[in-house]
Amino acid sequence: MSAEELQVGFVGNPNCGKTTLFNAYTGAKLKVANWPGVTVEKKEGALKYHNHMYRLVDLPGIYSLTSYTMEEKLSREYILQDDVDVIVDVADASALERNLYLTLCLIELGKPVILALNMMDIVKERGMELDLHRLPEVLGIPVVPVSARKKTGLEVLMHAVAHHKVEGNDRQVFDYPDRIEEKITQIRLRLKEKYPDMPNSRWYAIKLLEQDEEVTQKYGTLVKGIVDRSYENDIINEKYHFIERVMAEVLVNKEKKEAFTDKIDNVLTHPVLGIPIFLGIMAVVFFLTFTVGDFLKGYVEMMIDYVSGYIIGGLESLGAGAWVISLMKDGVFAGVGGVLSFVPNIFILFLSLGLLEDSGYMSRVAFVMDSVMDRLGLSGRAFIPMLLGFGCSVPAVMASRALEDERDRKRTIMLIPFMSCSAKLPIYLVFSQLFFGKAAMLVAYSMYILGLVLGIFVAFVHSKMLKGSVKQPLLIELPEYKTPNKRTIAIYVWSKLKDFLSKAGTTICAASIVMWVLLNLNHTGLVSDMSQSFGASFGKFLVPLLAPAGLGLWQIAVMLISGLAAKEVVASSFMVLFQVSSSSDANIVHMLSGMGFTSLNAYCLLVFCLLYTPCLATVMTIRKETGSTRWTLGLVAFQMVFAWAVAVIIYQVGSFLIP
Amino acid sequence: MRLTETNPGNQYLVEEIQLELATKRRLESLGMTEGSKINVMRKKRNGAVIIKIRGTRFALGREIVMGIKVRDRAGKRDLS
Repeated sequence: MSAEELQVGFVGNPNCGKTTLFNAYTGAKLKVANWPGVTVEKKEGALKYHNHMYRLVDLPGIYSLTSYTMEEKLSREYILQDDVDVIVDVADASALERNLYLTLCLIELGKPVILALNMMDIVKERGMELDLHRLPEVLGIPVVPVSARKKTGLEVLMHAVAHHKVEGNDRQVFDYPDRIEEKITQIRLRLKEKYPDMPNSRWYAIKLLEQDEEVTQKYGTLVKGIVDRSYENDIINEKYHFIERVMAEVLVNKEKKEAFTDKIDNVLTHPVLGIPIFLGIMAVVFFLTFTVGDFLKGYVEMMIDYVSGYIIGGLESLGAGAWVISLMKDGVFAGVGGVLSFVPNIFILFLSLGLLEDSGYMSRVAFVMDSVMDRLGLSGRAFIPMLLGFGCSVPAVMASRALEDERDRKRTIMLIPFMSCSAKLPIYLVFSQLFFGKAAMLVAYSMYILGLVLGIFVAFVHSKMLKGSVKQPLLIELPEYKTPNKRTIAIYVWSKLKDFLSKAGTTICAASIVMWVLLNLNHTGLVSDMSQSFGASFGKFLVPLLAPAGLGLWQIAVMLISGLAAKEVVASSFMVLFQVSSSSDANIVHMLSGMGFTSLNAYCLLVFCLLYTPCLATVMTIRKETGSTRWTLGLVAFQMVFAWAVAVIIYQVGSFLIP
Repeated sequence: MRLTETNPGNQYLVEEIQLELATKRRLESLGMTEGSKINVMRKKRNGAVIIKIRGTRFALGREIVMGIKVRDRAGKRDLS
């Protein structure tokens, strides 16, 4: 006998712990952080408890069920589907009053609802107490306290889901005033006449009274004469009146202390100090990335050398051909190994970003940077995707979905490639250490600043060109600060490292092999001199174009082209091209300066890498998120030209100043 | 008075929201209904504020802040 399958939708306010709960059940490792809007797509997972199969669906966070925002519309459509059996309404118990609003909206929908009270530990910490016996009585639905982080109450909740499916919500939780209830009854009668099978006519009646856009479009003509105006305001007010009465009954102890978050906010959101503090925090993040990362890097390099030596030795003793050994040594190990040695830096970077995201600081940054973003015609909310761009552009572009206005979203997406993502980090590290010695960290740091400044400049010009565009004002919840959760951070950092490692094993490995082939072959077969290879003849073709930017070497041209696959490939190709063995190889610098490539050229190369067309994965994501191939290609072309122009200016001015 | 004219650290009562419908409804569903208490926590020079309604903090941009009218709690009967 096959087990019965239940489809369970997880609904709740943003940042209430839905995804944490979902992960706890399904063992999934979806990203969790402490800012509203982390989940932008619905995710599914399955599990088995006792005799039941459960299909769990994690939905983006919402505050109500109107049709004003995309997420609310989608969640509502999903819940109204027939195949959803039970709704689990996840509520942040420490902000119960606001969370109950959505609960009431969900109950009205008529599907079986269970209230999962999350974060009860915070409620206790604050000295508050909730009457968990009274709450289900007044709401008429089961209430289950859970802790998503500590994984308690999980079995009870699923048990309740299985039971509640049969029983459903049998009674109406509260009545609106008579004048509204009368209208509801009238509308329901008309709906019943026309649609006798409509399961939740009360909900449709209420939505018609609110003059909800979608529902009115469908059924509006039926209720002419009854709905004389929008009752939305009255209905919202009545719900909150009811919630106030509920809170008065169930909240036994009012919160005594909540000063913790306020105290931290006194400093972090300070009107004058807020921005310097933010810049200071970012400076510390990058300082740690460079110093601690470099400290660990030495060990990783030793390990890679050991492994590659062992394998090359093995190949030699097996009598492998010279070209195989060259392919492995000068292609795969030089390229992949070179990039892998940056794992410690990337680890520290994502660890720091993860801590920032999980602490609750993220949405404060939106507030702090609102004044700067305001001048760019963007709301402070748009700064969150930019900040995520320091990690990786792909999730950053996806996070811009939280911005409702399409123009805001495009302008934000345009800014993201200007951020120095973790893939650009290896390029910065390789060249700054080779060419700038003690000033290496300063040079790398300047790339982060330059990207930010130029991005802001471009957005500013763009906003001036598109006059009359109305920006979406800032509106974001500021969650309570909390100590970052070890498990959350571990999942986050590991998933990022795994991405990086698999990229090293696939894209970078393939690119290194292709690079070796292009550099060691021409139409006659194997070549002994790279400058006679296919790659060289191709690179030479682009030299005249790149020369004004100080990048007029065929090797550089080949590197930059290869970097379109992934930005790390610029670094790995460099290793393959010049057979760089360590980050302080004096011979390479000497050789390059002999070719006319000095520190100024190196700086121009870094600037070009910072600004030119983002990697293929990002371009694909931008295409998907904007839905416009033309716009995406336009952006790609613009960035290419912009990168070239900036590099030319720096090189020309630089060579004028430094004779 | 407008929310822009308030002082941080004080509590006010929401009197009226004069904003386009979609924004107004969003604020209402967050609990900013007529007569509800609103705590002003922070103000930025560009007009953005941090407020607290029904136990939750929100950051609001200038364009929203301009459209919210509040009244002083002084002289009113304490309802809490």
